Amino acid sequence: MAYENWIGHALIAIISLSLVVYVVTTGAMLRGRIKRSSGNIFKLHKKYGIYFGSFILGSFIYGLWIRLQHGESILLSVHGRLGLVILLIVALQVIPGLTLKNRATYRGLHKIMGYALAPILIIDASWGLYNGVIAGTKNLVLFHSISGGLAALFLTWIILEIRYPTQRSLSRARVASYVTVFLVTAGCWIAGGYNYLTSYGFQVKPLILEGPYPWVHEIVMELKEHIFVFLPIIALALSVTLSTLDGDIFLDDTKSRRALTMIAYLALFMVLLMFLMGAVISNAGQTGAEALK
Amino acid sequence: MKESAASIASATVAIFLTGWIIIAHDLSPDFKQSLASLTGNHWISVSVIAIVLFILSLELLIGFKSARRFLRVYDISLWSTSLVAVTLIMVLGILAVLITQFLSH
Repeated sequence: MAYENWIGHALIAIISLSLVVYVVTTGAMLRGRIKRSSGNIFKLHKKYGIYFGSFILGSFIYGLWIRLQHGESILLSVHGRLGLVILLIVALQVIPGLTLKNRATYRGLHKIMGYALAPILIIDASWGLYNGVIAGTKNLVLFHSISGGLAALFLTWIILEIRYPTQRSLSRARVASYVTVFLVTAGCWIAGGYNYLTSYGFQVKPLILEGPYPWVHEIVMELKEHIFVFLPIIALALSVTLSTLDGDIFLDDTKSRRALTMIAYLALFMVLLMFLMGAVISNAGQTGAEALK
Repeated sequence: MKESAASIASATVAIFLTGWIIIAHDLSPDFKQSLASLTGNHWISVSVIAIVLFILSLELLIGFKSARRFLRVYDISLWSTSLVAVTLIMVLGILAVLITQFLSH
């Protein structure tokens, strides 16, 4: 896949990811799961839902066009199949929402599909990122990147629960933090570390060092491998804090919630930084391999 | 509540000390070698040390009231700000060391 084409598809997907977080947040506000912010939430939910649907449709058509340019069927890849599933879910979310007069009967299914959409989108985006950057997908690296993507989603969930608290927000934030610790530790740290120790040094590192961007290994990879150690500690601290925090303090003490939000933002920043550095490293490995051909 | 802020304080201490260990092992090949000899790979050693530091400092803070009082561990705002600041400073510090080493080669 041509790099320029792939990057356009990825940009649309990133915008879609931001939009889905906003749509899920406003949906959760409408259902009372998190505290409402000011403004007409229903109108915003509907408006951004339509924007999100349009971006998903655009991203799918763009992906389809790129695949067709190479004479390949979109349904041959898992990324393409997941893309189709996402498109179908979005159609089932948006079209009845706009056409049905009595939405009460449809609300339960709408909610389930809405919450399912975000993790499916994250998995598909991570899958697509590594398909685009690494050409051939390696299962361990894929698991590593999907875990990172899902951890980012769970951290966003924690931030929303803390920022818009209701009676049950703390218990949900606790569950989300346990999943985050698992994803960051098992998926990102251990799987990533195993790949680094068993594969990276022998297969990717020589290609980067011989290629046009040796600084990617010397600076970016070295930095990533070291500061990665900080991430499980931050996630663990956040999880322990949420587990031991008193429910009344969580609801009434703005200062404590602000402190927790800061830590969750820090963890999210670290996850996104790792994601960005991972993409740069993978891309430099591929460029190095092409340069040595 | 005391335990809540204690885990954040422990994370701050662990990241601060691990950050300095990383910088030291980047600057001193002998130290890097000694870390590698602990577990077979310097990265595994640093990872294990980071977790051990976190658990140790957490146990110390939970176990000793005087340590909690001295470090103002009840102040969750202070320690969350410290955690963010220490993490970012350590990330930038390690980055600066790596860039300097790359440019000096």
